[in-house]
Amino acid sequence: MKTKTVKIYLWGFMTSLLISSCAKIDDSQCVLLPVAEDPTICFRIYFKVGSHDDPIGKEGLAYLTSQMLTDAATQNNSYDEIIAKLFPLAASYNSSVSVEMTVISGRVHKDNLTAYYPLLTDAILKPAFNEDDFNRLKSNILNYLENVLKYANDEELGKAVLYQTIFEGTAYGHLPEGLINSLQNISLDDIRDFYRKMYNRQNVVIGLGGGYDNLTLEKLKKDLAKLPSGTENIATKNVPYDIEGLKVTIVEKEANATAISLGFPINITRDNPEWYALAVANSWFGEHRNSSSHLYQVIREARGLNYGDYSYIEHFPNGGRRQFPPVNVARHQQIFEIWIRPVPNETRHFVLRATLRELTNLVENGLTKAQFELTRNFLQKYILHYAPTTMMRLGYAMDDRFYGIQGSHLENFQNALEAMTVNDVNNAIRKYLQYDNLQIVFITNQAEKLRDDLIANTPSPIKYATPKPKVVLAEDKQIVKYPLDIKAENIYIVDVNDLFQ
Amino acid sequence: MLKEFGIGLSLILGICLVCQATEPIFPYKYNVEVLPNGLKVITIPMESNGIVAYYSITRTGSRDEWEPAHSGFAHLFEHMMFRGTEKYPGPLYDKIMTELGADANAYTTDDYTCYHLNFAATDLEKIIEMESDRFIDLKYNEQDFKTETGAVYGEYLKGKISPWFVLYEKLYDTAFDKHTYKHTTIGFEADVKAMPGMYKYSKSFFKRYYRPENVVLLIVGQIETARTLELIHKYYGKWQSGYVAPQIASEPPQTAERIAEVSYPGKTLPILMVAYKSDAYDPDNRLYIAGLLLEQLAFGENSDLYKRLVLKEQKVEFITANFSVNRDAKLNEIYTMVKSEDDLDYVREQIYMTMEQFKTEVVDDTRLEELKMHLRYSFLMYLDTPDNVAGNLANYIAITGGIETVNQLFANIMTVTAVDIQEAAQYYGMPAKRTVIILKGVES
Repeated sequence: MKTKTVKIYLWGFMTSLLISSCAKIDDSQCVLLPVAEDPTICFRIYFKVGSHDDPIGKEGLAYLTSQMLTDAATQNNSYDEIIAKLFPLAASYNSSVSVEMTVISGRVHKDNLTAYYPLLTDAILKPAFNEDDFNRLKSNILNYLENVLKYANDEELGKAVLYQTIFEGTAYGHLPEGLINSLQNISLDDIRDFYRKMYNRQNVVIGLGGGYDNLTLEKLKKDLAKLPSGTENIATKNVPYDIEGLKVTIVEKEANATAISLGFPINITRDNPEWYALAVANSWFGEHRNSSSHLYQVIREARGLNYGDYSYIEHFPNGGRRQFPPVNVARHQQIFEIWIRPVPNETRHFVLRATLRELTNLVENGLTKAQFELTRNFLQKYILHYAPTTMMRLGYAMDDRFYGIQGSHLENFQNALEAMTVNDVNNAIRKYLQYDNLQIVFITNQAEKLRDDLIANTPSPIKYATPKPKVVLAEDKQIVKYPLDIKAENIYIVDVNDLFQ
Repeated sequence: MLKEFGIGLSLILGICLVCQATEPIFPYKYNVEVLPNGLKVITIPMESNGIVAYYSITRTGSRDEWEPAHSGFAHLFEHMMFRGTEKYPGPLYDKIMTELGADANAYTTDDYTCYHLNFAATDLEKIIEMESDRFIDLKYNEQDFKTETGAVYGEYLKGKISPWFVLYEKLYDTAFDKHTYKHTTIGFEADVKAMPGMYKYSKSFFKRYYRPENVVLLIVGQIETARTLELIHKYYGKWQSGYVAPQIASEPPQTAERIAEVSYPGKTLPILMVAYKSDAYDPDNRLYIAGLLLEQLAFGENSDLYKRLVLKEQKVEFITANFSVNRDAKLNEIYTMVKSEDDLDYVREQIYMTMEQFKTEVVDDTRLEELKMHLRYSFLMYLDTPDNVAGNLANYIAITGGIETVNQLFANIMTVTAVDIQEAAQYYGMPAKRTVIILKGVES
C-alpha cells in the first residue's frame, strides 16, 4: 500500500515536470552545492527583498509577508493540513527576513522529497493570505515587540536600539519585525500587493544543496519561473547620518543590571579584501563568546563584572543563542559594534570608560606581532567550525552571491590569513575604526543620574568583592577618571514603553 | 587491534530509515571501553572534514546537590573548571585553546554537566592532555572562587529577567517537597548569594563528584579508536577513583493537585503551566515510553489541541509540551502563553479535557505511526556532524551511563500501541499528580 502511494506521487511529480511552463529561472540565478553522499536536500530560496523595502508607515510589511508564506495556509492546504503533512517527514520550512534579504529555507530527507516539494513550492507560489493566519501572525509579532523584546531580553533590546538609532531616518532604521503602530496599519491587501511586487522572477535566487538530483533542480527552476515577471530589486546602500561625538541613548526601565551596546557605521563589507585584516583585529578585540576576546579578558576575566564582552564588524543577531556567525543576514552597510553583557548598575559608568579606553588603545596602538600571530592561528582553525553542515555551507554560498564574492568567502578567509601581516591588520584598524564618534546605548534604571554622571565626568570608583592584582588596581585608577567628552545635548533618555512605536 | 571505519552518511540513513523496528537506530559503529579506574570512553569514528567533538559528560547536575542550602554547585563547577591547574593555569589554558582554534564550552542541566570541545583532529593529543589535566588536577584559590561565584550570581540576575525563569523556579519549588529537583539548575537565590563563603565546601564537591566512575568521555569524528584509547589510557590512567554518591531524598507520591500563582516584575502575556509527575527514564518501562509519545500526540504542534487553541480560536500564542527524560522522576510539562487573562480558565480546562480524552479514546493508528516516523527521522537527520552526534547522545549517556539505551528506546517506541497510549494517559494524567502554575506580569 505504501509503495503504491509513493509510485503515484512520483508519477505526478514527473508529469508536472513535463507539462510545466517553458519559462525558466536562469542558471545565473542558481547557487548549487551538490553533496552526493548527503542523504538530505537543502533549500534556500533567496528573494532580493527585506525590511528596507517596507513603505514608511508600514514597517514590518516584508517580515509579515514572508511569514504569511511559510507559517500560514496555501491555496492547496490549510495551515493545519500543512503541519500534518510535514510532521511525519520531520521536515519544515521557514523564512528569515533581514534588512536586504528574505530567505525561505528547509531541509528534507531524500526519501521524503516527493511529499515535501509541493508543500515548499506552494508556500512560495500559492500563498492563501487568509485573514485568520494574518491575525495570528500579526499578534505574535506585536507580542514580541511589546513584551518579549522590551522586558525579557535587555541585551537584544540594547542592540535593537543601537541599530535603530544609528540608522534613524534611513530604510535600515527599524527592526525587521517592524514598528508597533505600523503593524496595526498593515492590511491583507498590503501583503498581497507587496508579495506581487517583490516576489517576482527577477528577484529570486535558488539555493540548492546536498543530495539532490538534476530532475529536482530543473523542476524547481521551472516551478519558480511561475513567479510573475517584475523588476529586480537592486539594493542601494543605506548610508546613515554621521555621528558627531559621543551620543548616548538611555533606555529607562526597572533593570537589576545594565546592558550596554555601542558602535558606529563602517565603510567595509566582506567583499573588500581588507575586510579579512579587520576581522583579525576584531577577533583579537572581541571574538564572539570566546575567552580569547580582549574585552572579555579586561571586563569579565580580570574584574568579574559580567558574563562576556564582544565586538563585531558584521551584523550578528541573537548572539546569546548562537556560537558562530549567522548566514543570510547580509547587508551593504555594516556597523562596528561592541556588546557588553549586563553589568551591575553601579559599575555601568566604569565599564563604559573601560570599554572606550580599550577601543582607544586598539585604534592608537593596533596589535602587536604576537597578538596578531596568536589571533591568526586561532582563526585558521576556528573558522573550520563556521559551516559544518551542507545547510550552513549553502547559506555561506548565498551570502557570497549577495556580496558578489568570487569563490568562497571562507576559503578566501583562509587564504587571506595565510598571506596577512600585522601591518595589514593595523592599517585596517587605522582606516576603519575610530573612537571619537560613537552611538552608545544603555538599558538601565535611574537614567537621569547616569546622564548627570556622564556629563560631569563624575569619577566612577569601583569596589570588588575579592582582592584584585596590583596591575588591575593600577589600571583601575586610570579608568575611574578616564575622561569622556559627552555633551548634554547628545544624551537622550527614553522610557522603554515608548520604544518601537 | 581494533579495525573500525566511518560509514557514509547516505548509506546509514538510507538503510536505517526503512529498516525494521528490531534493527538498531543508531547508525554509526562505536566502541566502548572502561578504564580500570572506572572511566568510560565511547568513541565514534565518522567522516567529518577533520573535526572532532570531545564531550566530557560528568554525571552530576543540580539533582546531585542534596545538602540543604548548597544548591547551584554543579553549575558553579561548569565555571570553575575553566580556572586551570598548576600545569595549565587558567590564562595558559585559554591561550592554548586559542592557539588550537578550539570551540570550547560547557553547560549544566539537572542531571549532568557537560564540557564540550570541537577542534581539528590533528590536535587530539593536546586536547586529551589538557582535558584530563583539569579533571584530575583542578586548582583554584579562594580569590578565584569568590570572583567566579560573583559571575554566577550575575548570571542568576541576568536569567531572572525572563518570565520563563520565574515560572520554572515556582514550578519546581511547588511540585517537589523532598527531591533535589525542587531547585532549578542555577540554584536557589539565597544559596547562590551565599556561595562566596563556601570555598571549602566547593573542594569537597569536586572531590566527591569529579571522579572517573562518574564521567563518560564521548569522542566523535575523524579519529582512530585504537590510537585514541592509547592516549586516553596515557593521560587519564592516573586519575583516582573515589566517587561518593549523593544522598538524594525520594519524592513522596503526590496525592493532590497543587496550584500556585507567580508574578513577573515586567510585562508579559500570562503563562499557564500544567505539569504532571512522571517516572524516571526507563526505555523498558512500556508505560513510560507510551507517556513520552503522548507529549506530541496530545499537545504537540500536530495535535488537535494545538490546532484548536493556536490556529482556530487563537486564544494562545503557542502551546507545547516537554515530557520528562530524566534520571529520577520529574515532570511532564504542558505550557502555553495565553493572549488574554480572561481565557486562562478556558485554556486550562481544554488541557484537562485533552488529557481526559486520551484516557477514554484510543488514538488513531495512522497518527501513531506518523509520530514514530517523525521521531526516527528527527533523530537521524541531525546526526550529520560530530558535534550533533555527541550533542544528541549526551543526555542519554548522562542518564544511563551508556549509549545502548538509544537503540533500546527507539526499538521499544516502535512497538507502542494505541492502547499503551491510553493507559499512559490514565496513569500519568491523574489530577492528583498535577501542579499548575499561572504567571502574570505586574506591568501588563
